[in-house]
Amino acid sequence: MLTLGIDIGSTTSKAAIIENGHKVVAKNIIPVGTGTRGPEEVFKSVLDQLHIKRNDINRIVATGYGRMKFEHADRELSEISCHGKGVRFLIPDVRTIIDIGGQDAKVLQLNDKGLLENFIMNDKCAAGTGRFLDVMASVLDIDINDMGPRSLQADAPVSISSTCTVFAESEVISRLSNGENINNIIAGIHRSVAKKVGGLAIRLGYTDHVAMSGGVARNIGIVKAMEEELKCPIAVHPDCQLAGAIGAALFAYDDLTKK
Amino acid sequence: MADLHENLQKLRNISHNPKKQLDTYLSDGKQVIGAFPYYTPEVMADAAGIIPMGMWGAQTEFSLAKKYLVPFACPIMQACMELGLQGKYAGVKAVMIPTMCDTLRDVTQDFKTGVKDISTIAYTLPQNRKLAAAKEYLIEELTYVKEQIEKIYGVTITEEAMQKSIAVYNKHNSVMREFAAIANDHLDIITPAVRHSVFKSAWFMSKSEHIAAVEEIINQLKALPVYNFTGHRLILTGITAEPCSLLNILSDNNFAVVGDDVAQEMRQYRTDIPEDTSSLASLAQQWLDRSDPMAHDDHIDRVNLLEKLYKENNADAILVCLMKFCDPEEYEFVAYNSALKEAGIKVLSIDIDQQPNNYDQARTRIETLAELL
Repeated sequence: MLTLGIDIGSTTSKAAIIENGHKVVAKNIIPVGTGTRGPEEVFKSVLDQLHIKRNDINRIVATGYGRMKFEHADRELSEISCHGKGVRFLIPDVRTIIDIGGQDAKVLQLNDKGLLENFIMNDKCAAGTGRFLDVMASVLDIDINDMGPRSLQADAPVSISSTCTVFAESEVISRLSNGENINNIIAGIHRSVAKKVGGLAIRLGYTDHVAMSGGVARNIGIVKAMEEELKCPIAVHPDCQLAGAIGAALFAYDDLTKK
Repeated sequence: MADLHENLQKLRNISHNPKKQLDTYLSDGKQVIGAFPYYTPEVMADAAGIIPMGMWGAQTEFSLAKKYLVPFACPIMQACMELGLQGKYAGVKAVMIPTMCDTLRDVTQDFKTGVKDISTIAYTLPQNRKLAAAKEYLIEELTYVKEQIEKIYGVTITEEAMQKSIAVYNKHNSVMREFAAIANDHLDIITPAVRHSVFKSAWFMSKSEHIAAVEEIINQLKALPVYNFTGHRLILTGITAEPCSLLNILSDNNFAVVGDDVAQEMRQYRTDIPEDTSSLASLAQQWLDRSDPMAHDDHIDRVNLLEKLYKENNADAILVCLMKFCDPEEYEFVAYNSALKEAGIKVLSIDIDQQPNNYDQARTRIETLAELL
């Protein structure tokens, strides 16, 4: 039995196909999100990986901000539930999940059975999200994928005090004009994100088994800063960005098999 | 006689378009006074034959209001200033503004300065209500409001007319309480948006008209069999719970509203105006009797009230409609949120704003709550 999950985010589209509810057999990420070619392209690409058609998939669940507009889906589910289920599949002992996406950040609490128990989201503000890092990479004129490795080379991270993206941007520009080392500025930016999102985890309460999901979890500098902020190790799976899509595919499987 | 759906639609139209209602009253030769959130002595206006209309802003872009208020000020006050400065309240002679919070206090002067063709009647509700002087002080404040209404509108408000209006307002309280109760037996018809419209329309109609409209709706609901609602039951709390596009997300996710402590809705109707030595003393005593989170010495406290509403209405969760940038609400939220969670009650908060909004984030939160339940 094949089930497909598609996670249509604000900046990326992700899809995964799962066989019999336990094996990921196809997956892909397209770096454009809702309202673009991304959803159709990622959908087609995972079908092509298995040389199959839509009708060969037993059930499709869509999640993410673009979930309501995906016509091939049999059901839509919130990305919070899907990330909870997806991360639990990837990291079985997880109890707290920090999911930082393109335009929002969420912290999820799972109970000892792996079921979503509580959650908290950021306010409608770009600070502490992937968008915040995009803006900072642009100001620093560096590739966003280089931010993580470069921040690990920092010897004296600067303080980025503002929690507002716009004000933080002018703070970074001011640091640049004062001749600060760029690696130290990047590390300061990561600390700023960690403080903002870590604050959500503190408000919700978190346990020892913490994991990160979402595209921002691929940034090793953010993960390190978050570990320092929360004073605990944080697990990150290589497929962390696909957690929502995997969770959606698992829900699709549950729909077909659970009475 | 109109059928139930026509009656509900009529109230929905009024709550969606108060400007049309204002223009209708004005063209009928009626005088109108504005009532800022959220406790004003409407009874005085009613006693003088003046229609009190609620000033709750609207879903609008803020432009002119920025001259007076910072972007992070209460959205209701920003919207009221914007509409006032745009001339949308033309025909309203005066507004009553209670200084219940810092922003309202500022707006007493902003409105007076910016909207020159509408008189501002500002007054204070005492916060230390246990002091004997509180009642005496409030009677003086209410006397000032009464004198201002008489002066601006050229009317005399008699004690006899006040007593009659008090009876009307107490009857309205009772009718609204009855509606809230019977609505829970018909959650297929009284959706969150419909329920809200019935409550909100009260702000834009004379209370006698609203009593007649809601009594008819109650009787029509009573004639129907009780509906067995199997979805999720919510209690709302906050200053307002709107607009309808947000409330429709609740319906989309199989939620019904089964009770509320919303300032614009049931909080208005929990406390009657008691008998006292004079009508002004009665109005003052009503404020002293109210359980309200804005008061320094709330009688019941919000946690107990919300827990009571939750249990009595067999609710599944409490939805906090947190007015954006509202300091008193945000201050309160921290304490009652943790107390309710400790009591094992699911609590979800969403932001309420008055600027056009797509509510995608609220949709995600509400959907997740439904999935959790």
